[in-house]
Amino acid sequence: MKRIIQPIFQHYWNPYVVLLMAGILSAMYYGLTSTVWAVTGEFTRLGGDLLLLLGVDISGWQYFDMVHLQGETWNRPDGWIVWGMFAGALIMVLLSNNFKIRLPQQKRRYVQGLIGGIIAGFGARLALGCNLAAFFTGVPQFSFHSWIFIVATGIGTFFGAKLTKTRWWKGKPSLIRGNAKPTQLKKRIIQPYIGAVIAVLYIGLTMYFFTSGQRLLGLGALFGLAFGILIERGQICFTSAFRDLFLVGRSIMAKAIIVGMAVSSILTIIVISIYDLTPITQIAALSTFVGGTLFGLGIVMASGCETGMMYRLMEGQLLFLPVFVGNIMGATFLAYAWDHLGVYNVLVKGGAKINLLDTIGPIGAISVTLLMLGGLYALTVYGEKRYHRKLAIKRGMNIHAS
Amino acid sequence: MQAKVEADFTLDLRGESCPYPVIYTLETLEGMNKGEMLQVITDCPGSFRNVPEEAIAHGYKFAQDPVKNGQEYLFHIYA
Repeated sequence: MKRIIQPIFQHYWNPYVVLLMAGILSAMYYGLTSTVWAVTGEFTRLGGDLLLLLGVDISGWQYFDMVHLQGETWNRPDGWIVWGMFAGALIMVLLSNNFKIRLPQQKRRYVQGLIGGIIAGFGARLALGCNLAAFFTGVPQFSFHSWIFIVATGIGTFFGAKLTKTRWWKGKPSLIRGNAKPTQLKKRIIQPYIGAVIAVLYIGLTMYFFTSGQRLLGLGALFGLAFGILIERGQICFTSAFRDLFLVGRSIMAKAIIVGMAVSSILTIIVISIYDLTPITQIAALSTFVGGTLFGLGIVMASGCETGMMYRLMEGQLLFLPVFVGNIMGATFLAYAWDHLGVYNVLVKGGAKINLLDTIGPIGAISVTLLMLGGLYALTVYGEKRYHRKLAIKRGMNIHAS
Repeated sequence: MQAKVEADFTLDLRGESCPYPVIYTLETLEGMNKGEMLQVITDCPGSFRNVPEEAIAHGYKFAQDPVKNGQEYLFHIYA
């Protein structure tokens, strides 16, 4: 038994395997429901729910009409994707006995998290999707807006990484002479039992959805759970994909995401042609670029995106509470600014929904998508090589100087 | 637990989230004299992987295997 349990719960899973599975599952989820794995749309609806609760009249807000703000989060399949992801991540954290309240030593992180969260939430909704709907699940839908979003996110992340490196932003760590004592361990391990209880309850709820004929809610709950398990076990961090390439020349996450998207694209085009589905296309406009850039900057400031913050919060990293609040605030503010402050007229109106399947046909669409992903992969490898080459030169100069 | 090793410095990063553990670790190692040993205590799950992998990618050697201590990890790295 130990031989099975240890690799599953005591070690994180290979990001390539995890993102491959996520790519396959998101294509399946699309085939079953005609919707994609996404989270920020629901964050906007949560903001709308809160405004309604506070007695704000939002009936005239166009953005809430566009994202179909109806019912409550418990009655929306997209809502269950979000809660399922939280549940799946929490269950995994508890089963691996890894929950701990983690409070940053640098108090500035809370402010950075809130501000970054607001910027990322605003940017994601302006671009109509975060790293999921406008990236990981957007590319396989052949929606051209995700191509713009990827480039823009890369640019925003670049500036975010520059900011992260400044002294006043990162702060000084506590470095002491000699050894320091590790934390005393508790003898009794109870977390896995709590995790098992939550898992049983959650599976019961999912079964209730299916048996009571609420198939879409059941599918949302089930796939949400699976996505939550995957992102926690693989420590999937879209924020780090670009950022760590700039910061420390680390490329594994970027490569794994690209491979996952390539597989998902191939599967999605098969699903589309078999079931004759319409791909989900979002407007490609100036807003996509501006939103993507803000999103890239915001996620680095906050140390996590709308997906990554979910499992980190479940690990007990309380920094991500202000990030979550910020994400919802930013998304809600965008919903207000959309028509009330003229965002739509200035940044979105001139755009169009462009889907590669319509413009260049299925063979062309999958070919250019794989070509683009191949190019992105090559750029990632180049970025990593370049970082280490510069490091070697820098060290060589230091040796000569000393 | 393995035999206790004497570290010259300790970087206590408990509570800090990614990417700061990996940035702090690499910067501290760079500022130390060659041969000195740094102990890193970290509890950000992302850093369980990116700190040791990046320390090695940046040419540093481990004094011993990483030690898992409940919800945190201890690393011992030579500058």
